[in-house]
Amino acid sequence: MTTAAIVTTIVMSLVFIIGLVFCFTRIGKGGKWED
Amino acid sequence: MAELTRERWSGRAFFLFAAMGSAIGLGNVWRFPYLTYEYGGGAFLIAWIIGLIILGIPWMMMEFGMGRLFQRGAPGVFEGIGKKWEWLGWWPVFVAFLIVTYYSVVIAWSLNYAVDSATLAWGEGAAGAANAGAYFYGDVLNLSSGPTDLGGLQWPVVGALAFVWVALFFIMYKGARVIGKVAVWTVTIPWALLIVLLIRGLTLPGAVDGLNYYLAPDWGALANADLWFGAFSQIAFTLSLGMAGMFAYGSFVAKKADINNNAFITSFSNCATSFFAGFAVFSVVGFIMQALSVSVGDVSASGLGLAFVTYPVAISMMPAMAAVTGVIFFICFFFLGIDSAFFLTYGGVIAPLRDKFGWGRAKVTAFICALGLVIGLLFATGGGLYWLDIVDRATAFYGLLITGALACIVVGWFYGVEKLREHINSTSDFKVGAWFDWLIKVVVPAGLLFVVIYGGFKNDVPNAYGGYAIGPFNGSHIIWLILGVTLLLSFWLQAAKTRGPKEVKLK
Repeated sequence: MTTAAIVTTIVMSLVFIIGLVFCFTRIGKGGKWED
Repeated sequence: MAELTRERWSGRAFFLFAAMGSAIGLGNVWRFPYLTYEYGGGAFLIAWIIGLIILGIPWMMMEFGMGRLFQRGAPGVFEGIGKKWEWLGWWPVFVAFLIVTYYSVVIAWSLNYAVDSATLAWGEGAAGAANAGAYFYGDVLNLSSGPTDLGGLQWPVVGALAFVWVALFFIMYKGARVIGKVAVWTVTIPWALLIVLLIRGLTLPGAVDGLNYYLAPDWGALANADLWFGAFSQIAFTLSLGMAGMFAYGSFVAKKADINNNAFITSFSNCATSFFAGFAVFSVVGFIMQALSVSVGDVSASGLGLAFVTYPVAISMMPAMAAVTGVIFFICFFFLGIDSAFFLTYGGVIAPLRDKFGWGRAKVTAFICALGLVIGLLFATGGGLYWLDIVDRATAFYGLLITGALACIVVGWFYGVEKLREHINSTSDFKVGAWFDWLIKVVVPAGLLFVVIYGGFKNDVPNAYGGYAIGPFNGSHIIWLILGVTLLLSFWLQAAKTRGPKEVKLK
């Protein structure tokens, strides 16, 4: 893969991983997990 | 009127899987990867993420939140805002129903191809690759000369279509609790299958070339309006919003459950799946480029062409595990489609009808499934593909974008989005600020209307859509007719007396 394609893959993966980790670490802070 | 308890998800995880299953569909595989390649790779992804944050997530929070607040499907929500707005809840109900009538046919084709792949029915090697297009348009569809030449029914497709609707009935007739449990499987199975397909794709010769085409950024494209149209349209289509169903799915959420975080998780999971699916698709595109010595522009990498022509070409040319890969791909397609189909049917149509008329769940589910099957027969004829194209343009483009924009305007300006924000913040894992109000009031409607005008009216008003001739009419006329008739039917339903339960206990 080209360097640009690798960088794009890494950046996008980080965006989704950080976004989902943030969401899952917030679970239970306000609403209930099991309703 | 007695106080009634609304049906509920069995738990938050089941709601999340149902919502993710509705959003993650065929478009994640056959639309997103191609748009990324077409509109500048990494540059497109920036516009797409911006679209997700300023359009998709707020729009989803609005639909979830309004459904939970009013404890109704889309028509009940807008009736709650004001009786004069109820039609705006019914219009997307018709959009959802028409979409599922042809979407179920595409799922049926996937089932046909899952069986056909076992024997490589279109042929092996170079001969199979050359025959894949003729097999789909000839043997499977028996494609006629135009929309007025329906030809006969394609009985293998009809059989698979009947199977799809029977499966949908058994998934839906007991309501949200069973839907949530089924969704756990219909989401995780395609995820697992996509991983298998990715591994298979990456082990094929030429795969890396395909990935470079998929991801290589063209930063200059960010100045091109086409890129922003592509990104915003993909966000609008991929989250299953503007189809009434998310209001109903939100209405099944319990009083103390989260809204904001669930919308973020659903949206991020959907988009992560799209990004991941792109690797599985473009690794195969790269393989075809090398195997057939063609350029990327010669490989159909989107829509029906990707699923039912390009992928079979790749299967024919694969050096090993060809049949197994084909079966896995089309079973994956079946599962990707089926949870979007029961979202459209149950959340989009059945729940609103039950809210309005108080009908029993099993009976109305059976009726809608039977009606969906009968209407779907049109798309299982020799001329069905033409009608699928026209109805898709009317509903999955104009219908969902226009009703979505209007819904945000009415909630933002006439209901008072501040009340919605206060409601969803009261139980959510994290709160949203006043910026949310302006996204719903201005940015989301403007973004959706930009897509309608730039990608729709600009082409379809001066030109006849698709070049179809249907008696004295053309494709664009039929699109306006579908939109007009469904709008009139929406006002007709608004005028009908609401017989469903008036009060629902928030529990």
